[in-house]
Amino acid sequence: MVQKTILLVDDNPNDVFLTTRALKKSNIANEIVIAHNGLEALDYLFGKGEYAGRDLNQMPVVVLLDLKMPKMDGKEVLDRIRKNPLTKLLPVVILTASREDIDVISCYKSGCNAYVCKPVDFDHFAEATKQLGLFWLVMNETPPVAKK
Amino acid sequence: MNENQENIEEPLKEKNVSFRDVQLATFNILEDFNYEKEILKDTQRALINILDDFNIEKNKVENINYRLLLKTKELNRSNTELQKAQSILESRVEERTAELRQTNIQLQTEMDERKRAEEDIKQLNKNLLKRAAELEASNKELESFSYTVSHDLRAPLRSINGFSQAVLEDYAGKLDEQGKIYLQNIRESSQLMASLIDDILSLSRVSRTELDIKKVNLSDTAVSIMEALKKTEPERQIKYIIIPKMEVYGDRNLLGVVLENLLGNAFKFTARCKHAQIEFGATESNGEKIFYVRDNGAGFDMMYVDKLFKPFQRLHSVDEFPGTGVGLASVQRIINRHGGKVWAEGEIDKGVTIYFTLNMEG
Repeated sequence: MVQKTILLVDDNPNDVFLTTRALKKSNIANEIVIAHNGLEALDYLFGKGEYAGRDLNQMPVVVLLDLKMPKMDGKEVLDRIRKNPLTKLLPVVILTASREDIDVISCYKSGCNAYVCKPVDFDHFAEATKQLGLFWLVMNETPPVAKK
Repeated sequence: MNENQENIEEPLKEKNVSFRDVQLATFNILEDFNYEKEILKDTQRALINILDDFNIEKNKVENINYRLLLKTKELNRSNTELQKAQSILESRVEERTAELRQTNIQLQTEMDERKRAEEDIKQLNKNLLKRAAELEASNKELESFSYTVSHDLRAPLRSINGFSQAVLEDYAGKLDEQGKIYLQNIRESSQLMASLIDDILSLSRVSRTELDIKKVNLSDTAVSIMEALKKTEPERQIKYIIIPKMEVYGDRNLLGVVLENLLGNAFKFTARCKHAQIEFGATESNGEKIFYVRDNGAGFDMMYVDKLFKPFQRLHSVDEFPGTGVGLASVQRIINRHGGKVWAEGEIDKGVTIYFTLNMEG
């Protein structure tokens, strides 16, 4: 059976820790791939750099993407994902602190599948992460992986 | 004569003409002469008549001459008058010309002044444009500042909150009750700070979002807000009176924020009333429509009325009534942006009335 993975893209190690902790607490035992910045995320998705030679038939069921990151921000990562035929259908959820309309609108325009604001309170954060994980891993039907 | 008579008689004898004949002839001649004399007399008479007639004509001519003279005099008089009138006219014309010249000079000065004023306005406009550009730049700066605040201040708070929870979960056995309470306090404080950040952001959003002016039915908005509020605490007995069909021009979203804050406050501060009553209506004063939101809740001391609309100023402790003190500050900013005023009246334990005006045209 194909392993269902989640790609978490976030530059903040504390947020990475808390997100993975929340996912594990919700008994979501899937593999969580962590990318610490936008470039790393793209390397993983397209099998480049550190991830050269990765089996590209294995795509994450969902990308949890932070917006504000150094070098390449989440919005640009999203645009690159949508531009590439390999990943243009890949579910991408923006997971960010920004509640600014301008971000929400531009991300939806770029084709994100959901936009979730990280709550400060951990209980709420854990609940949101759990819901996200369950929905994208269990409920949602992922699109077939495009042929290269 | 004698010689003549001799001369006459001599030939007469020769020709055998009698004296008698001569006499007769002479008589005839005399008679003819008389006749001629009569004719002469007649002619003389006729001449006298003609002379008489001539006199009459002469008189007539003299008369005419006299009249002509009179006329000439008259004409002369008129002429002088005319000349006088002309000179008056000329002086008038001169006067008017001078006046016109004066007016022209004034006009020229006025035009010069206007030109100067125009240049001043142009300069002012330039300055204004510069100011506007500066303002826009500072607005942009503020926007990116807000964005940073929104994103970067929240992240450490999330860590504080999350790691406190992680300690509570993972090290529960190593903590006594006091330690758990401390960690809980850390979590609550981080959350309070998060809501303060949210409020700062919403306050700045209120000031920087562009107004979208449309007709807004305040009554309908207020009713739906009240209904939503009632659902948050369904056990509370609360009566509200909202005058229907209050319509204004304004930004629908921002006026919604105003009513959410005012009605939300009224709802919050009547939490301890047995018969809570909230009113939203309008009166008129000096042709100006004044809206009001009135409650019979906790009220406030008028001594502190100045603090009411200042951001992060509260007249109640968080224990009594929760809040961050941003609501009325946002209300004031929104009302000001709509060209209106907002003020409050209250008394401890008697409730509060917030009045506001709006001055927007469609």
